[in-house]
Formats: sequence, structure tokens, C-alpha cells
Amino acid sequence: MNRKVPDLVTASPGFWQQSWQRFRRRKLAMFALYFIGLLSMVAIFSPAIAGTKPIVCRYKGEIYFPCLGYYNPSWENPIFQKDRFRRVYPRNLQRKDPDSWALWPLVYQDPHRPVRDGEWEGLEGNPFGAKGQPSGKNWFGTYKTGFDVFASMVHGTRIALLVGFVSTGIAAVIGITLGAVAGYMGGVVDLTISRLIEMVMCVPALVLILALQAVIEEVSIWNIMMLLGLTGWTGMARLTRGEFLKLRETEFVAAARCLGAGRIRIMFRHVLPNALAPVMVPIVFGIAAGIQVEAALSLLGFGAPPPNPSWGTILHSGRETLQSGYWWQVVFPGLGIFLTVLAYNLIGEGIQEATDPRLADSGN
Amino acid sequence: MVSYLLRRLLIGLVTLAMITCMIYGLIRSMPGSPLDADPAMMDPSKMPSKADIQRMRSVYGLDKPLHLAYWQWLKNTTSLNLGTSYSQKKPVAELISDRVWPTLQLSLTSLLLSYLLAVPMGLYATVRSGRADERGLSFALYMLYSFPSFVAALFLQLLFAVKLEGTWLELPLLGNHSNNYEEMGDAAQAWDSFKHMILPVTCFTYGSLAYYCRFVKANMEEVIRQDYIRTARAKGLGPIRVLIHHAFRNTLIPFVTLLGLTLPGLLGGAIILEGIFNWPGMGLLFFSSILGRDYPTIMSLTLMFSILTLTGQLLADILYAFADPRIRYS
Repeated sequence: MNRKVPDLVTASPGFWQQSWQRFRRRKLAMFALYFIGLLSMVAIFSPAIAGTKPIVCRYKGEIYFPCLGYYNPSWENPIFQKDRFRRVYPRNLQRKDPDSWALWPLVYQDPHRPVRDGEWEGLEGNPFGAKGQPSGKNWFGTYKTGFDVFASMVHGTRIALLVGFVSTGIAAVIGITLGAVAGYMGGVVDLTISRLIEMVMCVPALVLILALQAVIEEVSIWNIMMLLGLTGWTGMARLTRGEFLKLRETEFVAAARCLGAGRIRIMFRHVLPNALAPVMVPIVFGIAAGIQVEAALSLLGFGAPPPNPSWGTILHSGRETLQSGYWWQVVFPGLGIFLTVLAYNLIGEGIQEATDPRLADSGN
Repeated sequence: MVSYLLRRLLIGLVTLAMITCMIYGLIRSMPGSPLDADPAMMDPSKMPSKADIQRMRSVYGLDKPLHLAYWQWLKNTTSLNLGTSYSQKKPVAELISDRVWPTLQLSLTSLLLSYLLAVPMGLYATVRSGRADERGLSFALYMLYSFPSFVAALFLQLLFAVKLEGTWLELPLLGNHSNNYEEMGDAAQAWDSFKHMILPVTCFTYGSLAYYCRFVKANMEEVIRQDYIRTARAKGLGPIRVLIHHAFRNTLIPFVTLLGLTLPGLLGGAIILEGIFNWPGMGLLFFSSILGRDYPTIMSLTLMFSILTLTGQLLADILYAFADPRIRYS
């Protein structure tokens, strides 16, 4: 009697699970996904990878995390300013508190200033100008002024990924909400939103961002992300609208309605998960586009204001010294941007093919 | 169709009104009054003179209440009185028209090149589909498509203008002609212009070339599976005739609409590349007027780029309807 009865009916894998399985079969797309994962790690842990501030240190009996200052200057404990560290930690920690200890980043280089002679025992100061070629100490070389390119690139990853995610996030929220409302409600609402989409589609985002630079004193990276988000949602809205138009006539929506579910609940709880797949593709491509726009703006000197390094600002200073032949300032950040854009494009294409219902059965 | 066009035109006008409102709002909200000396502008040559200020006050109507002032600015703008640039002391309309030709020179050349190259390459890729050379070509095109043009511009400048300097392969770094252009003969002038165009046109072209080529191949792949292609083959037509007369002609419709979609980029798309190559087109004018805080020029160019984007979108839709009789706008 205890013999196990084999399940005659197994739950068939859901749509997302199936799509994920199909996506996983694409080696290039998976490789790209790992690459973006790695970049995100680099972005999050950038102060622990390259920096001149200890990750953790014990100073005068207290534990501090000075590396947080790279995320936001105010997160660095003011005691180090009071004690006149002048941003040089290794020597001063020893001198001012012989009992102190510290855990250092992997690479002792700073994105905001050149490392000087003797700052770290046995480490020479950064070379300048033509001597700043890539070396064992400065992996990607140095700027004309001696800043380390590798450290700038590691810290620039934060801006690159942030711009992509935030601008596309804003665009996705606006686009999906408006598209959902338009597609589900139909009628006058649909008409109004559709006209709005057509209007915003004609707004040249790049031109507006540039025009804003002349008007606002300090254009911050947040302004740029906002503008990119506010102008980039039209494609997603169109796709979501189309999906909702199709799905609102289906049985499960009728069933939900019969059960007394409200409009908002049906729209976002029942329909949206089924409409999300096609919208994923423009979201991923949008991230790549956002990264490119930011880098291009910074390259021409119209991007995020210093001191925040971004890949574009490295290109900017590389462009200024181009005629001296300092190739490392152009090649490394350029390849960084290219690989990131390529990875997002590969992921986008992977999602497109993995979620395409026409390919659903042929995959097995 | 007519009602559709009317509707689109109306929407276009509303959009334009929205954009002009936005631009005018920007003018009004410029830090302090834009016309007062701005402490941020340390360079005295960039500061507007008293006469400029008076002129701009009257053009922009900054002394009037908002709605009247906007109306006046609109009236001036529609009668092509775009104001006077105060960094160059010339009417803005004249300044812009000087810059249209260099921009067109870049964009038309690249448009022509990418279409002329994309068709044979796409057809080749269709014929050789699945073989090693087609895979190689497709892979290369995909890489190119993902390669940001501004990065390519810097790489090419580094290679051809700096590393190969002094060799016969050297190409000029910036601008659209050499310093001693005026003293050259006709043939030398043409050669000089050609050499200056190579790098910018390459950067402007390769991305769209890769895109069009993939587009042609994707459409051809769809058409080549149709029954009438099998029929054509079965009645003994040669492969080239089938490919071009029977298959490619039927992919022309989406191809034509693509042209419409690229129109807005034709005049405005080169903004970044013009900045990198110092190419004296409208994009560069835009950059220099932003740096010089030349508000009349900035606003006119913003307006112009917006109108171009709008026209391009509209044209794409119309072309679409003309190219494909199955499409009916209602």
C-alpha cells in the first residue's frame, strides 16, 4: 500500500521558466549576462577594488569604513578630516595611532587624485604624461595629470550602470503604466495617451539635454537620467498597449472580472505579468542606449560634472591628449563602453528569441 | 488617408506648440535674467553687450507678461526672425543656413553609401545563409552595430591621424578642410575635402550599414520561403533573377519605410560626431553656441531639430502608406 504512485500529471513549466531555459541555451547571451553581473559587482564594490581609503579600519579604538566616502563624501567620518589626514590614510593611520589596523582595497589607486611618492611604503608615485603607459602599477596607464585610469574606470562603472538602470527604470514605469492604462481602458483614455505617445516620440532627447546645459548652471547626472527617462518611454508604452488590447479580451480577464477583481488589480496583477515579455526587449536595449548617451555627452564635456569619473570623462581627457598618442586613455574606456553595449544587445536579443511564442515549441 | 494626414499634421502642430512652449520656458527661466551679466561667464567676450540685451529683450519680449511675450516670440519665429547671435553678430537664420551644407555633405554621403552597400551585402548574406562566410559577415556586422560611433571615431582618429602620421595612410584629424585650402587648385581642393570626409563618413555610416544589412537579410529570409519563390525556381528561372526580381522587390516596402525613419537623423544625427571631428555643421554650431551661451542660436537650433524630427516621423508614416497598399490609416 505504501508503494509510491508515480505522478501521472506533472505541472508543465511556466512561461518564465520555459523562457529562462531557452535563454540559458544561448551561450553568447548567457556570457553577456555573466559579464553584466560581473560589472554590477565591480560597480557595487568599486571602493574595495580600487581606492586609497581603507575598507575597514580601527582608529583610536573605533571601527570606521572610510571607503564609503567614494559613494558619498559625507559618509566618510569627519574625524579623519579633523585629524588632518588630507586623504592620505596609510601613513597617517600609523603615525596618529600606532595601534590602528586597516583592510585595504585590492589596488591602491585613487580616481580623484594621483598617488604620490612614498604614500604607500615601497610604492612610487604615478607617472605623468607620456610616461603614464600601462604598467604593473597602473594597469590601464595614467592621465596626463597622473590620475590612474584603472581606478577611474572601476569607479566609472557606477555611473555607467546607474545611468542605464535609472533612466530606463523611469522610462519603464511611465511607459508600462501609460501603455497598460491606454490598452485596458480604451476609448478616450486610449486616444489621449496614444496622442501623447506620438508627441513625446518627436522630442529630440539629446538636443533637449544639451539645450538644458546652457540654461541650468550645474546639470547633474540625475537631470540627464530624468530627461532620458522622460523621453524614452514611448516604445515600451506602445508595446504594452498592444499587449493589453489583446489580453483584455481573454477568458482569464473575464474570469477575474467575474470574481469581482477591481480594474487596477486586473491590470497589474493579472494582465501585466502576461504582457511583460515583449516589453523586456526595449528595456534592455534602452539601458544600452542610456549608457551610450551619457558617455557621448561626457566625451564632449557636457556630461556629469567632475569629480565623479565616468567612462565618458576618461574619453574626454583622452581626446584632449589624443595628438600626443596616449592611446591607453582612449582604448580602455572605449572598449569598456563597447563591451557593455554589446553585452546588453546580446541579452536583449536573447530575451527576444527566448520569449517569442512562435519559437516556443520548436525549442524542445 | 487624408483624414489621417490631417490628424497627424494637427498632432504635429500641437507637439510643436508644446516644444516651443518648453523652449520659451527655458528662455524665461534662465538663471536670473539671461541678459544680465552672468557671474558664471568669466569671459568678457562672451557677455552680451548693451545693444544685444536691448535687441533680445524686444525679440524675446522679456519685459512683457508671459503669454504676450510667448505670442510675440512665436510671431517673430514664424516670420523667420530668429534673432541675432550675439557671439557672431549675425542673424541666426544666416548662421544656420551657412551650416546646413556641411551637415548634408556628411549625412547624404553616408546615407547613400549605407544603402548602396547594404543591399548587395544583405543579398549576399541571404544566398550564403548558414555558411562560414555568412556567419563571419553577420558576426562582424553585429559587432559593428554594437560599436558606439563616438568610440569608433576616437579609435580611428588615434589610428589614422596620430599613429599613422607621416605615412601615406595619414588622414586629417579635425575639420572639413586644411588651413591652406584657399590657396589650392581645384583638384587639390577636391582631394583635400575628400580626405577630410573619410573618417567622419565612415563613423557615420558603419552603424546604419550594419543595421540595414541585417534588416535586408531578415526580410529576405522571410520572403525566400514563400511559395511564389518556389514557383519561380520551379519554372526554371536563374538564381539571380529569382533573388532580385522575385524576392528582393518584395522586401522593398519595409526598406523604403526605413528611409523615412532615418530622415530625422539626417540633419540632426551627426551632432555628436560633428563635435568630435570639429566638422563645421549644425551640430558643431549647437555645441559652440552652448559653450558661448548664445541663447538665440541655441533656441533656434533646438526648434529646428525638433521640427526635423517631427517631419521625419510624419514622412515615415506617409511613405509607409504609399509603399504598402495594404496599410490603411483610419
